[in-house]
Amino acid sequence: MSSNHSNKIIVASAGSRKTTYIVKEALSNHTDNILILTYTIDNINQIRNYIIRENGFIPTNITILSWFSFLLQECVRPYQNFVYSDKRIETVYFPPDIGKFKADRRFIKKANVKNYFLVGGKFIINEHISEFSCLCNDKSNGKVIGRLEEIYSKIFIDEVQDISGYDFDIVDLLLKSKIECYLVGDCRQATYFTTCSPKYKKYKGKNIINLFNDWQKKGLCSVEEKNDCYRSNQTICDFADGFYPHLTKTVSFNTDNTGHDGLFIINENQVLNYIEKHKPTLLRWDKTADTFGLEAKNFGTTKGQTFERVLIFPTEGFKKYLSDGNLTKVTKKKNKKTQVVTEEIKDSFHLAKFYVATTRAKHSVAFVFEGNSIFDKLIQYQE
Amino acid sequence: MNIQKVLIQNFKTLQNFEISLNKELNIIVGDNEAGKSTLLEAINLVLTGQLNGRNINYEISPFLFSKSVVDEYLTKLKTGSNPALPTILIEIYLHNKPEFVKLKGSNNSKNEDTYGVSLKIEFNEDYKDEYSKYISDPTNITTLPTEYYGAKLYDFANKLITPRSVELYSTLIDTTTIKLQNGADYYLQKIIEESLDIKERTGLSLAFRNLKESFKEQDSLKAINSKLKSNKGEITNKDLSVSIDISQKSSWENNLTSYIDDIPFQFSGKGEQNFIKMLLALDKNITKSDVILIEEPENHLSFSTMNALIKKMAEKCKDKQIIITTHSTFVLNKLGLDNLILWGEDKKTMSLKDLKPDTQDYFKKLAGYDTLRLVLSKKSILVEGPSDELIVQKAYYISKGKLPIEDGIDTISVKGLSFKRFLEIAKLLKKEVCVVTDNDGDYKKKVENKYIDYIGVANIKIYYDKDDTLKTLEPQLVACNDLATLNKIFKTSLPDKQAIVDFMIDNKTECALSIFNTTETFEFPSYVKQSFQ
Repeated sequence: MSSNHSNKIIVASAGSRKTTYIVKEALSNHTDNILILTYTIDNINQIRNYIIRENGFIPTNITILSWFSFLLQECVRPYQNFVYSDKRIETVYFPPDIGKFKADRRFIKKANVKNYFLVGGKFIINEHISEFSCLCNDKSNGKVIGRLEEIYSKIFIDEVQDISGYDFDIVDLLLKSKIECYLVGDCRQATYFTTCSPKYKKYKGKNIINLFNDWQKKGLCSVEEKNDCYRSNQTICDFADGFYPHLTKTVSFNTDNTGHDGLFIINENQVLNYIEKHKPTLLRWDKTADTFGLEAKNFGTTKGQTFERVLIFPTEGFKKYLSDGNLTKVTKKKNKKTQVVTEEIKDSFHLAKFYVATTRAKHSVAFVFEGNSIFDKLIQYQE
Repeated sequence: MNIQKVLIQNFKTLQNFEISLNKELNIIVGDNEAGKSTLLEAINLVLTGQLNGRNINYEISPFLFSKSVVDEYLTKLKTGSNPALPTILIEIYLHNKPEFVKLKGSNNSKNEDTYGVSLKIEFNEDYKDEYSKYISDPTNITTLPTEYYGAKLYDFANKLITPRSVELYSTLIDTTTIKLQNGADYYLQKIIEESLDIKERTGLSLAFRNLKESFKEQDSLKAINSKLKSNKGEITNKDLSVSIDISQKSSWENNLTSYIDDIPFQFSGKGEQNFIKMLLALDKNITKSDVILIEEPENHLSFSTMNALIKKMAEKCKDKQIIITTHSTFVLNKLGLDNLILWGEDKKTMSLKDLKPDTQDYFKKLAGYDTLRLVLSKKSILVEGPSDELIVQKAYYISKGKLPIEDGIDTISVKGLSFKRFLEIAKLLKKEVCVVTDNDGDYKKKVENKYIDYIGVANIKIYYDKDDTLKTLEPQLVACNDLATLNKIFKTSLPDKQAIVDFMIDNKTECALSIFNTTETFEFPSYVKQSFQ
């Protein structure tokens, strides 16, 4: 049935040059069609720019798509009419208020294809697109995968930790197909969830490692770890590793000495001065964070990027962690009733975002924080 | 090698049309106005996105739609129902080639899992509000509101694409009109442009710019400019000078023209122009076109040029798919019947492969000409030989005052056993045909049994006499005319009618010719007259 000997899952830590690996592998082949998939637009641009930097242009045999574009364009539409043929499915629908949206639709049965999967008869709901894709493949007797096999000989899925639910069924089908699959991801950086389906729930977030291991047990792939860090220095790596005590420790290859290296605590009244002197990139949870009116990036959007120095505005929960080092207390504000995500999972996403933020810096990570920290590597900044 | 099948809905005269194409050469033969050019136009439209040399979105008009669907829409609108707006659909089904894999899917009107693209000219739903306002008073609506339409190209995976994403290039050579654009020939320009790579093109562009700039430095031009300068203030207070416009980026296309033996291309003969255009299009090294669409290559071409062209076509078609429409039996004979696609009434098409193997064989040996006559005429009368042909034509002339061919009716002389072969084609193509035949002394067996498959076919009529004593046309003719008239026409003095019959049988063609040329009053058997009533 399958020739999965060559499928590979690479579990890599931050700064281990995942993108470099994907780009180099993809560029080494000039003839076969190669598909590179990833979750965020930022990451697509990053891969695209990397290829252009390496190669001058994107070779015609390489296609780069976002996960949703891939599902819509390559899985849903080609055999859409096996499931639904009233109208062409135009695009993916992202409900503005997911809680209300789900509550309003909770009585719609799956058999009602048009209303369960679609809005307005032609927009497919983000949460259901991978399920619809699986349905197209089933109903057409495997034509969706068959077509992909005909087109692509290799598929790279970057940030594989960010997919979930029925997405896993698609990945499962790909692993079983003739296509050589390379899944690259970091379970520590699972900051998104593409769907909230109960399926594969136990593998959500950092637990995705268990799924990888299960696939390996079934003989669908081999799992490799990459724990070298070419970005952050060892002090930063150690601090970030501390979020995930059960995972392998990272080894840093960054030995630069800039005179201001490691972890720092910045008091609020030192912020402007610090920015002036060290020019860090400012990072925040989201726009609700108080950054004293200064321009800052959201943690989630910085995935894959590298900065010289960062200045992080921690959440209340994270401030607690800085002071007592107790992981279980890292939580965001109380969830609203409609929020379907459980407390535990939310926790792991919270942590993942801080992991991403911390591991962006090459030389120094500073936290805006008043008081003492349990971590002795965190040094109070002196002007 | 590329296009397997074309399916067209509601485009001009092709309301519901489908055609399978040969991998290399396709020779389409059919009557005028049958929609052959429309097919070529449709293929070219999908592969280039252009109609009449312009982007399709600027060319959408009610006239692109089949008249009957527009009429149906208008009628429904006026009777108060809310009809769906008609859509034009052109689907091109492709063969399995590596460059087409991404076009695969089941989004086509046949739900086939295959490679291809479809062009839809349809109502743009962004105009919903405007449209509902527009139809609120249907009494004043006389045509389709194509202002609210748009053209979109999808592959069979239902991805919105541009013709560029289909790795298939077409060139349409319409020799019936020579379209001029900016003085030079548009097709030729396109072909030249396609044949140059980017380096060569920029080189040419640069050379042209240098030429223009050096023109500015010519003494005579300098003289004019200094003169203009000295008149400053009379026309304007600013400096006025003349020069060549160097601003257009690639203006060489508009200013350069090609020469044939030092004669500018557009001044050479039309035949020559066509010939060169077709040769250029056929040459793989010159253009990248994979599909070449040629309308009536015989236009403006002499016999010998034609011969050279055909030879070239036969050689070159190995790497290209060529679709030719023609009326020329010469083209057909030279390129071979295997590639023939006959185009009948009701836009029905067939190739020789649709015929029984022995019939195929027969027509291959017959070398095309008579097959074509049947297909090209509006109606044909099949007769049993040259003398019968003359008699039927004379009878027609006496009754209508003109020869059948003047009414588009072709009289074709067919050898004894071949009738059924012609009828097989006529039946498939729904061509109107009548057979005028002898009863050979046994009308039941020799006629009614023989043609049993065709009796009752709407477009086929068989005429014969049931009097078994009058076996052939000669005794039939003798029976309905008196002895004196016959003797006079044949310049004979034979004693009785039997002797006349014998004489006629011995001198079939001469007698037929005498009847054809006579001014005497002459009667024809009623089954002959019925054949054209």
